[in-house]
Amino acid sequence: MRVALFTTCLAEALAPRALKAAVLVLEHCGVAPEVPLAQTCCGQPMLSNGLPADAATLARRMCAVFAPYDAVVTPSGSCASVVREKYAVLFDAGSADRAAAEALAAKTYELIEFLETRLGVDPTSLKGRPCAPLTCHDACHLRGLHRHGCTAPFLSRAGCGEVRELPDMAQCCGFGGMFSTQFPEVSTALGDEKLAHVSSTGAGTLVASDTGCAAHLAGLAHRKGVALRVISPAEALAESLGLLETGAPNGGKP
Amino acid sequence: MNPLIAPQLPFDMKPRAREAVRDLKLQQFVGNATHLKDTQRGGIFDRDFGLEYDDLRTVARDTKQHALDHLDELLERFIANAEASGAHIHAATTGREACAIALDIARVHHAKSCVKSKSMVTEEIGLLPAFEAAGIKTLETDLGEFILQIDGDAPSHIVTPMIHKDRVATAKSFVRELGSRYTEDPEELTKIAREHMRGLYRAADIGVSGANFLLADEGSAVICTNEGNFDLSVGGPPVHIVFVGIEKLIRGARDLAPFLKLLARSGTAQPLTIYTSFVRGPRHAGEHGGPRELHFVLVDAGRVGVLASEKRDLLRCIRCGACLNACPVYRKVGGHSYGSVYAGPIGAVLTPELERAQSGSNGLTNYPDLPRASSLCGACYEACPVKIDIPKFLLHDRARLRERGLSPASEESVLRVWRWLAERPALFRLAIGAARLHARMLGQREVAQDGERAWLTRAPGPGAGWTATRDLGFATGESFREWFAKHDNARGAR
Repeated sequence: MRVALFTTCLAEALAPRALKAAVLVLEHCGVAPEVPLAQTCCGQPMLSNGLPADAATLARRMCAVFAPYDAVVTPSGSCASVVREKYAVLFDAGSADRAAAEALAAKTYELIEFLETRLGVDPTSLKGRPCAPLTCHDACHLRGLHRHGCTAPFLSRAGCGEVRELPDMAQCCGFGGMFSTQFPEVSTALGDEKLAHVSSTGAGTLVASDTGCAAHLAGLAHRKGVALRVISPAEALAESLGLLETGAPNGGKP
Repeated sequence: MNPLIAPQLPFDMKPRAREAVRDLKLQQFVGNATHLKDTQRGGIFDRDFGLEYDDLRTVARDTKQHALDHLDELLERFIANAEASGAHIHAATTGREACAIALDIARVHHAKSCVKSKSMVTEEIGLLPAFEAAGIKTLETDLGEFILQIDGDAPSHIVTPMIHKDRVATAKSFVRELGSRYTEDPEELTKIAREHMRGLYRAADIGVSGANFLLADEGSAVICTNEGNFDLSVGGPPVHIVFVGIEKLIRGARDLAPFLKLLARSGTAQPLTIYTSFVRGPRHAGEHGGPRELHFVLVDAGRVGVLASEKRDLLRCIRCGACLNACPVYRKVGGHSYGSVYAGPIGAVLTPELERAQSGSNGLTNYPDLPRASSLCGACYEACPVKIDIPKFLLHDRARLRERGLSPASEESVLRVWRWLAERPALFRLAIGAARLHARMLGQREVAQDGERAWLTRAPGPGAGWTATRDLGFATGESFREWFAKHDNARGAR
């Protein structure tokens, strides 16, 4: 099986460690992912902001770039959902583009989903070593993939350590792409509420299954001087499996 | 109409949203109530239907869609059957027409007073102001609506109209407007309102209500309430007028069950509303209750236009309010921020669409913020008992906003440049590298065990909205591609 890592632009810019972790975890599970060099952006920002034709241009590129692979895996919940749920309707039924979009949708997975549903990894077989207590916020876009709420149980069963239940996990963190700058007060208020729930768990590490949500929550915490480490599910797994060094909460001085 | 729900157009949502976010009381009342109802909704569906909940929603979706697809036929059948039962049927193309029909009926009966039970469509068409202007004293008999009425306030939620108010405000207005003693006890307050209303029911010349469903086979209306005020308003006055949007039609009682199962559970987490009233025809010979004259005003007010558009799914809405309770944005900004009778996710898509269908305008010029006021989290779609894909329609409207130049051009340039770069992988990688370099040069650098980060605290251009409240952290070490190239080489060598 040829597996491609769909890196996403946000993760390449902000969170290279999440991508590194995804590669290491996949290798640990017996898959050596390739990284197609020509991949760029999936078009989510255009799609979500009223530019479907621009999104379609990028969707066509994505279909071509990932055509040679059997599976496409990404550590970002929202980018996965765009490919899976939004690509096909950009093109006319019966067109070649539509068929390509449907083919890409059918083989695209969020990382944890890929491990669990495509590779059939039993998380308990991973036998990770417990790391510091963590709590987990799933990206809202995992709803559409029927994967909302699946990350925490997976990490817990994989032995990542104590996974504390995040109160009101179902509520959006307020990121929402450009919504975060269009309605900054509302976005921030939602983020603050999420951080208050995170803090109520006492966990020093937050696992967020989307790079955007992670950047929003980490950025809010950092602005407030709250010591909170925000990582991806891939990093939590990689750390627990000893593939990456465990980090400390951010906020340290160089 | 109250400017809170009928603001000056074009409507600017942002100041209201900003104010609402800062209003700690509103945050508390709306936040607590919506969370509670949303949680209870999930709980009661789990308990009563488990995995079959989704099937039930599918049945309701298909049943309502089928009804909408056969609306002509159902309307004819309803009219024939309702007329056979002795009811009068009126059709109103516009809200104004609907009000005029009611005023005519009132004039014939020399009506001076009216008791009204809760109805969204009467809010939509502005019936109460029309009645008041004609000198018909109108009493809102739903407790929440009554409190809003005596306070000169406006509803902010489809099902729980005074969700933004608390007991203290209610207690004060009762003292001021009804001359009652001060109490914050809900039971006491309800008792005071009841005493105030009882006599007015008996004295009223006209009763007015909405309807949750119209049954074509039976020619009757179904009204779901919790307070029994509808039954009093239909039982007391000699004339009753039911205002109802034409999208409320279903085939008949044979199709009603899934909706009754879903409506109360979705709205208030009850298995059924306390009262489920069926109204068919006026009082017949030998009957002891009911109005001597029963009128149905079938309101179009844009619905036919919606039906013919790609947004026809919106007409499936049964006004349960579940999407409002589930919506993170509604929870933070409250109903009045939407500047419409219909707030929350459904309001954000329905308000511009009804306006478009009625005015012939594009509908969005007057409400440019509504499609954007969403994080697209999808909680509304998940909560909707008739599976209206609200996020899909928000995206649709965002595209219409762009086409009409109603979204900021600066945003569009950024997105277009981004797209242009994304078609050129080498340049795109350079751009990402430049962003990372920018952060490394200008950001606050901090070292953690998992690597160094640079935090931007003031981003340029479109990033400024971000850094108003947040920092933006970049990992400063080698890029993923650099790491992977080495890793892949080593992998090949192994």
